[in-house]
Amino acid sequence: MRKALPSILSVISAILICFIAAGLTRDFGTAVDAFMAMWWGAFGDWPKFLETGASTTLLRPLGEAATKAAILTFTGLSVTVAFRVGLFNIGAQGQLVVGALAAAVVGAKVELPALLHLPLCLLAAAAAGALYALGPAILKLKRGVHEVISTIMLNWVAVSLVDNWLVTGPLRATTSGDNSASGTDQIHASAELPRLLGDLSRLNFGIVLALIAAVLTWVFLTRFTRGFEWKAIGLSQDAARASGIDVERGFIEAMLLSGAFAGLGGAVLILGTELKYPASLGAPWGFDGIAMSLIGQGHPLGVLAISTLFGGLRAGGTRMQLFGVHKSFPELIQGLALLLVAARMLWDKLIDRLSPRKPA
Amino acid sequence: MILEILSSALDAAPALVFAALGATLSERGGVVNVGVEGMMRAGAFAAAVASLAMPTPLGVLVGMGAGASVAAIHGLLCIRWRSDQVVSGMALNLVMLALGTFLLEAVFSSPSSTPSITQLPLVFGRSPLTWLALVLPFIVHFALYRTAWGLRLRAVGEKPQAVAAMGVRVAPLRFGAVLMSGALAGLGGAVLSTSTLDRFEHHMPSGLGFMAVAAMVFGRWTPLGAAGAAAFFAFGNALRVGLSSSAPELLEVVPKGVLLALPYALTLLVLSLQGAKNVAPAALGHPYDPELR
Repeated sequence: MRKALPSILSVISAILICFIAAGLTRDFGTAVDAFMAMWWGAFGDWPKFLETGASTTLLRPLGEAATKAAILTFTGLSVTVAFRVGLFNIGAQGQLVVGALAAAVVGAKVELPALLHLPLCLLAAAAAGALYALGPAILKLKRGVHEVISTIMLNWVAVSLVDNWLVTGPLRATTSGDNSASGTDQIHASAELPRLLGDLSRLNFGIVLALIAAVLTWVFLTRFTRGFEWKAIGLSQDAARASGIDVERGFIEAMLLSGAFAGLGGAVLILGTELKYPASLGAPWGFDGIAMSLIGQGHPLGVLAISTLFGGLRAGGTRMQLFGVHKSFPELIQGLALLLVAARMLWDKLIDRLSPRKPA
Repeated sequence: MILEILSSALDAAPALVFAALGATLSERGGVVNVGVEGMMRAGAFAAAVASLAMPTPLGVLVGMGAGASVAAIHGLLCIRWRSDQVVSGMALNLVMLALGTFLLEAVFSSPSSTPSITQLPLVFGRSPLTWLALVLPFIVHFALYRTAWGLRLRAVGEKPQAVAAMGVRVAPLRFGAVLMSGALAGLGGAVLSTSTLDRFEHHMPSGLGFMAVAAMVFGRWTPLGAAGAAAFFAFGNALRVGLSSSAPELLEVVPKGVLLALPYALTLLVLSLQGAKNVAPAALGHPYDPELR
């Protein structure tokens, strides 16, 4: 609990600061309305539901929230597993981009029954992301290149090559006719993530995958020898090496898993909502993963929880526009929360002062 | 043709040169600065908004101040509270990205840009900031390698304990470098909104901050190297833009995306050939804790 407290306080303060900002730029009545709209848009419009009894007032917002939460969970897990061995994977964005592209290409160019097609797409995305993350790991081990720098560079290499060349050039949608196609070809129906509630909501299988991934990661990191070894490497490479742990292998494996998670995030985005690699991915999901991982205190279930919250706020954020508050507001809350979490020492001091730690 | 490209490179380079110099100062002092992008954005926005109410040269100063204020948050987090420096930088990027969009919408009710301002007056046919960008790398080089302050700053980036043992305080030195870094990044952003264009646009600085970090690494953490790399990247950009209008058939052979990726790919290549371990400041990324020796 003491460990989670800084995150909770940070998120609450971030929301408060943003509420005041909205109140000052509009007025406080509007700010309250806008925040309520965001909340109902995030987690279901309960008052309207009780009034009309229409289930779509609940299911539609929840579906939107869940699709966004699934992507955030995957990129958050990506950053988290790399952190576990002490590597800072800023490259989740690039790995997500190549993963998304792989999913879109396999989804559109390959024809298979759904039972095989969807897993193949997911596998392709995970493999693409993993391979893209392998580069920084090898550069770090062989040439001593800091992973923060190499992953930043690789992000821009991926974005430039994919968004400005492959998607507008060789892989551009071939379908001609009245619909002006941007992005790549539509994926086949057999590659789509199945919708859980049919036409009632866009809720798809992605959130289930994210849930499974988070729980499995948690079990792996806390209950398996290899997970413990990763933690040891992250705490001290020298100590880990001295106790016979293969540090190099840990780095490679953790980065592969990290890249695979980011790639899967891209796959969930493409196979669940976009259904093709679009002209623009919309949000810097990979960078958001950094926020999810850190606010979630590097705990897989914490990442899941915080991704659910911000996935919801983002889904609800679009409704704030009705009140003249820009839809990027949830991103502002998220950024501030990350900034406040970064000031970890400040919170620890504050909490220690308010309730002194019992001497061990 | 070549002259035209050189000329447009001269107009495009200053933003990148200032930001790269800023990043270099901060990192030579041992504080990682991946928040350049956010600081540039703050500078670009503040300069454009301030120039609505005051003469544009003053607006540029406000832009520098805005960059420095963002850097002050970075400094507080990294130096005072010993936070992870990469996290702080990335968080500032995220905050500035969203804050810029929010303020644009809240203050100007426009999702795309601020109203137009009068651009900086030209000096000898170019923006005065272009001339400054030609001189400043040498000034920073001199300050870093020929003054006592520069020696101390470099030492603080390599071995802060040694500097502390000499009786020089580490935190103020680092804080100063971070503030200057932010002011320079803010200046780089101000170039975009007061010289390159005549307003702040919602996508600014569209990745230039990260390109500045690439230039710093490419230039091996030295002011002249960083500025040279920044000029080189700017020239590459100008060449790409020039080619797309004058020789579009060439872009069929070498796609635009490949050219866009080139600065980053080159930086990565240079890094992997030389190995970064002995180039980057030794204490880079490590908060200074006086109790650790």
